This record gives sequence, C-alpha cells and structure tokens, in this order.
Amino acid sequence: MEQQIDCIDAGTEYCPCYLAEIGECLMCSQLQGHVFCDCKNWKGVCIYQEYVWNRYQMKEGRKNLICKVVNKKTISDSVMILNIAVNNTLLRELNQPGAYVFLRHPEDPWYYDTPMSVVRVNEEEGTIEIAIQIKGVKTKSVLKVDNEIYLRGPYWNGLLGLKYLKMLRNEKALIIARGIGQASAAPVARKLILAGNEVEVILDGGRIGVNFTEDYLRELGCKVTLKTVLDLKKLEIPDDTLNYISQVIKEKDIKLVYSGGADKIHEGITRLLKQINNDIYFTCSNDAKICCGEGICGSCQTRLEDGRRVKTCKTQLDPLHIFGGK
Amino acid sequence: MNNVVIIGGGWAGCAAALTAKKAGADVTILERTDMLLGLGNVGGIMRNNGRYTAAEELKALGAGELIDITDQVARHKNIEFPGHKHAFLYDVHKVEPLVREKLNDLGIKIYYESRAVDVIKNGNKIESIITANGKCVEGDAFIETTGSTGPMGNCLRYGNGCSMCILRCPTFGPRVSISQRAGVEDILGQRGDDAYGAFSGSCKLIKESLGQEIRDELDLKGVAILPVPQEDVNMDKLRFKVCQQYALKEFAENIVLLDTGEAKLMSSYYPLEKLRKIPGLEYARYADPYSGGRGNSIRYLSMAPRNNALKVENIDNLFCAGEKSGLFVGHTEAIATGSLAGHNSVRFLLGMSFLELPRSLAIGDIIKYTNEMIKTKAGRKNRYTFSGGKYFERMKEKNLYTTDIEGIKLRLNKLALTNVFQEKLL
Repeated sequence: MEQQIDCIDAGTEYCPCYLAEIGECLMCSQLQGHVFCDCKNWKGVCIYQEYVWNRYQMKEGRKNLICKVVNKKTISDSVMILNIAVNNTLLRELNQPGAYVFLRHPEDPWYYDTPMSVVRVNEEEGTIEIAIQIKGVKTKSVLKVDNEIYLRGPYWNGLLGLKYLKMLRNEKALIIARGIGQASAAPVARKLILAGNEVEVILDGGRIGVNFTEDYLRELGCKVTLKTVLDLKKLEIPDDTLNYISQVIKEKDIKLVYSGGADKIHEGITRLLKQINNDIYFTCSNDAKICCGEGICGSCQTRLEDGRRVKTCKTQLDPLHIFGGK
Repeated sequence: MNNVVIIGGGWAGCAAALTAKKAGADVTILERTDMLLGLGNVGGIMRNNGRYTAAEELKALGAGELIDITDQVARHKNIEFPGHKHAFLYDVHKVEPLVREKLNDLGIKIYYESRAVDVIKNGNKIESIITANGKCVEGDAFIETTGSTGPMGNCLRYGNGCSMCILRCPTFGPRVSISQRAGVEDILGQRGDDAYGAFSGSCKLIKESLGQEIRDELDLKGVAILPVPQEDVNMDKLRFKVCQQYALKEFAENIVLLDTGEAKLMSSYYPLEKLRKIPGLEYARYADPYSGGRGNSIRYLSMAPRNNALKVENIDNLFCAGEKSGLFVGHTEAIATGSLAGHNSVRFLLGMSFLELPRSLAIGDIIKYTNEMIKTKAGRKNRYTFSGGKYFERMKEKNLYTTDIEGIKLRLNKLALTNVFQEKLL
C-alpha cells in the first residue's frame, strides 16, 4: 500500500495546473500518462474532466498583483509586520490555516518571490497581516517596500496534516510555536477555537525574541504559556519542556498537536507522540524551502519514509511520514 | 480465519456473500454507495432466452435466493420483445430493499459508503483492504466484484463523459480496481472500432412523462414498440453497444420500451430532442442516466485475469465475479459468477480443491468459454450473455438452452451438483 498523498489544489479553481499538462498530476492517473482511472484520493471533482472541459489545458494560474501596503511596522530588529490590502476574493481564500502568499519588492525581478504565511485576515479593513523575519536576500529587499508590493496567491500548503485540523471538533488541542513559526500557528488557533476546541499554546519567541501573536491568541481564548521550545546548542526540545508537553497532553487529554517552527521541533514532538500515544493527531508547519509554490522547481522536495520523493509545496500528507522516519 | 471480504455490493457481490455465508464463512461486504445492487437498481431483465436456463440452474445448484426475489417482484412474466422470449421484468424500485433484508437476515455484515481504494499485501496474499475513509478491513479471502463500469474519467476518455448514472461516482467516489492495486493488470474490453470499453445498453425514462397510451400498454403488456422516424434511424449506434443481444436491426428502427417500474429504453443513449419527436414521448424525461440524451456509462474497462474457479491469477486469496470476471452482460451472469466465487472462497479457506462447473451446464460453459475468448482480440470485442448474441447461439448449438425445469434438475442430479451451494463446509 502506498502512503496516500493529496494535492492541496485539487478541485480548486487552479486545478488542473501545469502538472496536468505535462502528465505529472499528483492525483489523477489519467493525467499521469495512464489511460484508465485509478482514483484513490477522490476530492469530489474529476480532474481529468476539468482538464478536458478546459480544452486540454491547465486553468489560468495565480497572478502577480500589485497591492497596497496599508501599514508597515517593525516590532524587533528582525521582524516586520505588513498589512496589505487585497480584494475580497483573495481575502476569503486566504482566511484559512496554511494560507500563504509570495511577496516581493515591485522593483525586483520574479526570482525574489518569497513565501510568507498569512497571520490573520481583517475582513472589515480588507487587509491581510504578514509577519516577516528579515533574514536573507529576499526578505531584506521586502524590508524596503514602501506603499506597494507584488503579491502572488493564494497558496494553501503552509501546513501538513490539514485534514486532521479540519476534522477536530469540541476536543482539546495543543499548539507549540517558536519564533516566526507563530505566524502559521495563529490561523490554526483560530480554526480550532471556531470548531469549539479548547486550545493550549506554548510560545517561544525564539531567535526573533518577540511573541507577536501572544495578545491575539489570548484574545481568541487560548491558554498561553511561555517556555523555551528549542535548545539551540543541542538542537533539541529541552527536557523540562518535553516533560511539560507530555504532562499537558496527558492531563488535558489532548487530541491534536500542532507544531509551528523548525523541523527539529517537529521531529522532537513526533518522537514524544510516538512514546505517549499513537492516536494523537499531529500537524505542523511546512518548513520546506518553498520557491515556486507550483510543484515545478523542486526546492521543497522531501523524502518520505517509503523512499518516495514529494514536492511539499502542493502535497498534503501526514507529517508523521516525513518526520516519523528520521 | 473464516473472514471473507467482498468488495462491491452489486448482484455479483450479493450472490457471493450468500454462497460464502451458506458455506460457513463470516462475510463482510464493502459497498461504495448507500445501496446494494449497483446497476441492478436500473436493470430488471431476467430469464430472457438462455437466462431462463441459467436461472433454473442456479436454483438447482442451491443459489436460487436472488432469482426468487427477482421473480417475486416481477412486474411482468413470460413476455416477448424483438429477439427475446419468456422474459421476466423485475420492479427496479422494489428489489434492493428485499435483497438487503435477505443479507441482513443471514448476518452478512454490510458497510455502506465504504469505498475500497487500496490493499495491504503480504507476498501473494492480500491481508486487508483500505477504504477511502481510512478503515482497514482484514480478511482471509477476498472477492472483488467492483464491476468494470466508469468512473468518470473513463466515461469521458472512452465515452461522452459522465452522464450521471446510478453509480453516482461524483457523490460516492470512483471505483478503484482492487486487483490492479494488488498488482494484477486489468484486461480491457474493446469495441468494433478498436476503441476500449463499450456503452451501457439502455436508459430509463420516467414513466409518468410518457403519453397515457404508452403507459397503459407498458402496464398491460410490459413492452411498447414505437417506430423511429426514418431520418433518425442510426444503425451505426448498434456497434457501440455493450449488449449485443439488443444490437438488432429492430432496436435501431424502433424505440423498444420495457416496463421495469421505469420505462426501460433499449438504447445506449438517445438525444432528447429526437426522442421527443416520437408520438407519445413529447414530454419524455430521463430517470437514468440523468443525461441519457448525451451518453451512458462506459463498461468493460477493468477485468481481472482469472481461472475457471474464478480465482484471480497471481493472487492466492483473491476471487472475482460479475463484470470483473469477464465480458459478461446481465444480472443472471453476475449472480452465477458471484455464487461460484463465494463458494470457492470458502473452499480456499479450508484448503480444499476449487469447484469448477462442468461445460454441460450453461453456467459452467459460459465461465470457461469467456475465459478462452478474453485471451483473443476478437474475443475481447465480444460480450457474453445467456440472453443473446454469439453465446446464446452457442447455447442452442450445444443443447444447453432449455426451459424444461425438470430436465435441468435431472442434469444437475446426474452431475451430483444438486444444492452444492447450500452445503456448509466450515
């Protein structure tokens, strides 16, 4: 049996995409060069039919939009918060966990595109909030934006194990987030709270040194605890934090854990979950180096336990199949 | 160690469940939709031509339950229509709940809305079936009766697209070939023009949408024959049909309607505008497939190579029946193959030798003959049914066709096969 993988874009207005045109669709056997259906992970839409109805072409892809920067705020030496005005459709499409966009300075060429998680959406103002850690070439250039910015989106695969997150209702969940990983954790907390779940959060400012989502998370109704989540020397979760996490999981009967941060944190939590109980759902931020977001370039490629390679910018899968194997 | 898991709850799957249960196994059916019988919910024709013989053979073999149910809800018995004699038409609206009740009464477990999508294998054995909702169903023997029709992508590639038939793939998700998942490549049927697959052969019209005179005739006789306007007669269409027993000149020159609760239109599809030119059909509407004016489902795209005991080649514990086991057409053919596969699955559990039915029985002969024919290109372009076409001719030549019930019982007795499917083995 093969590990089931889903395409985050399957059945959306961006499906079928480039991959269908070249016979590399992640989902549809008819669009993988076969001439028969072998539809294991049906998503309610026949991708092949969409392709034929679209005259054997991909759907129109995402566009680069020039958007207004409504607010730009530096909250520490290395973190900037941008509020960007977008149209209502994009606003709606980005109002979900895992949503991200590509940003770049309007004067930069396309290869400056950098993927950024949407922290939250303000429907009344018509803006999205993005937190950017200024770290390398692309983000340093974004730091220079003034009134306008190039934006490409929506993209949705900013976290892995999305289906577990969507499933959980009236249960208890634990979010562990560190550094800029808090950006992806905020919409996760919102989604969980809206579905009637109780949410515990362990926050760590990490390298950026600020807990910029703390107030928002408390506002949502999460119980927030501040702890060190990663020991930078050992690159491991410190023992006392691990103990605390397992205590919370046991005492509160946690059903789902979300990890927002570096792969090392994901790996540590995966190990812990395997020790405690295999029935707890694990979801985490997708920290692969995403470059094109379209399943083409391969920079986000990772290896599964069974040896297969997948491009994680579009592939939804159970994160245990990535982090469980290490 | 006695678990038989059946994938697909159509006529073949239900028949397999019954014989496996009677032979002593614990039986589970995984059904993709919310109803049993699959295409049996829109079919309805029984006992026409050689199917009469096969139905009586099944009863004498001890697998008559499903035949009895279809007889019980027959709207018309012993009717004739072009090329066909002594047909029974069961009421498609009444049959499924009765079959469900029968299976429930016998303690057969049925999981609805459970689409099988993958297998877990250990060597040449299947250990369990994975469903789309993540369930893992373990078993000792498996019977695949997923059919060979659809899904949407196939209906589009080889037909006119999804016409929204009773299989309801968009709702419940597409059929997945389990044998192919287990590593055994499917065999594909072909049609005259070398293309793959074939159109289903009939549609249903909503009876209430037809003229009063036609409705009365259907209620009274079970059949109504309406001439097609000369300019619309399309002989070419016969070539694309699955059901070669209905690919006769009369079916191109006439609209043949049969009363199965709906008005069964013996044509793969028929443009609505043309249909409504025929007197009495001015208000006609399709009931199945909903888009019967445009197309119909595509079948025969997924047959498994198997032996004459209906065991799939190269997998130790997988059996198959119905369309999955060959280019068969019809409910009787599905029930016949299903019954044998169910029985043999229990023989497998016990390490017994498999039962093969002899060529002196119509059921034994069709299973063997089809297996020979499917290995040839010409054979893959043909369909095999007791009710007509090439195989009914063969039945007559070989003296297999008879409506003499006592004679059939005697034949079975001589072969020592009477009630063989009633035998409790476990």
